[in-house]
Amino acid sequence: MLIWASIFICGFLTFLMRFLPISELMPKTMPQLWVEAMRFVPVAVLTAIIVPAILIPDGQQIMLSGNIRIPTAIIAICIALWTRSVVITLIAGMSCIWVLGWYFGI
Amino acid sequence: MTPAATQTRRAEFWLGVKEELPLQIGIIPFGLVFGILGLESGLTFWQTILMSSILFGGASQIVFAQLVATGTPAPVLIGSVSTINLRHVLYSISIADYIRALPLGWRIILGYLLTDEAYAVTIKRFQTQPSSAYMHYHLLGTGMTLWVVWQVSTITGALAGTSIPGNWQLGFAVPLTFLAIIAPNIKLRADLAAAIAAGTSAILLQFLPWNLWLIAAALIGIATGVIVNRNDAQAQSATNMPDRIE
Repeated sequence: MLIWASIFICGFLTFLMRFLPISELMPKTMPQLWVEAMRFVPVAVLTAIIVPAILIPDGQQIMLSGNIRIPTAIIAICIALWTRSVVITLIAGMSCIWVLGWYFGI
Repeated sequence: MTPAATQTRRAEFWLGVKEELPLQIGIIPFGLVFGILGLESGLTFWQTILMSSILFGGASQIVFAQLVATGTPAPVLIGSVSTINLRHVLYSISIADYIRALPLGWRIILGYLLTDEAYAVTIKRFQTQPSSAYMHYHLLGTGMTLWVVWQVSTITGALAGTSIPGNWQLGFAVPLTFLAIIAPNIKLRADLAAAIAAGTSAILLQFLPWNLWLIAAALIGIATGVIVNRNDAQAQSATNMPDRIE
């Protein structure tokens, strides 16, 4: 029961966070600083998700040596810049990490 | 990519669907992993699959399952899962200007559908393509595509159980998707500064409780971007000054 309650509370809070800024409660006009800051929302949030996913693969500890996600990420960045394609980057990145994992027996 | 085709409701909607589809290569394994992990962590089948529509946020659902598995008390669990999703406030603020005039029902639906993957695709359309009266249909298209695929892959994962080997690195597919979206979009010095500041902070702030590192790193990244942007704009206007006077 407690788990169901937690699921509903988390769901409700998450919805509020997604909805309140587009509700009537927000001021109609934003200060200039807000508008400038919005450009950097995607790059800042997504990079903050990407970097720990690479450097802290188990979610516990920073792993620098023997971490196949680091070379994979570097190759994926090059492919993304070159092709600008999500599909090609994903396929190449996942292939790369499987090959490296198989080669190093991880 | 196809600015001319964005005049009707249907064109906007299907453009959203079309642009969202490639990301599903990362979403499907992510949903499978969550379906499996949910059951392994001690959630029931229905808790696992219904969480995907009640909460509808991949990373936060994974954290939820992990915290249930470690017997975390409910208030800490709720706090931790919610701070993971605080970034959605930023997404919502940044689309507010584009959809504020819509009726309440529309805004409730679009708010519910506002996730990383839908936002990342649609904000690019909002910011870089010409506006149209129906551009909210683009977000409906990306959001609904993601919603359907997320539900189906979660259910499949929960039904398939532990028959998918754990060392396939499937969890890395989603960060790779974000990387594929972000890397080509770093155009200004300020974009790069925002990325470096956010990435570094995300590592250095790992010690913060309740997964607060994510929202803290995002805010530091945004602030850095704004500061560098203002500096660059000032430097540029300073060098341009003599030209303007002449």
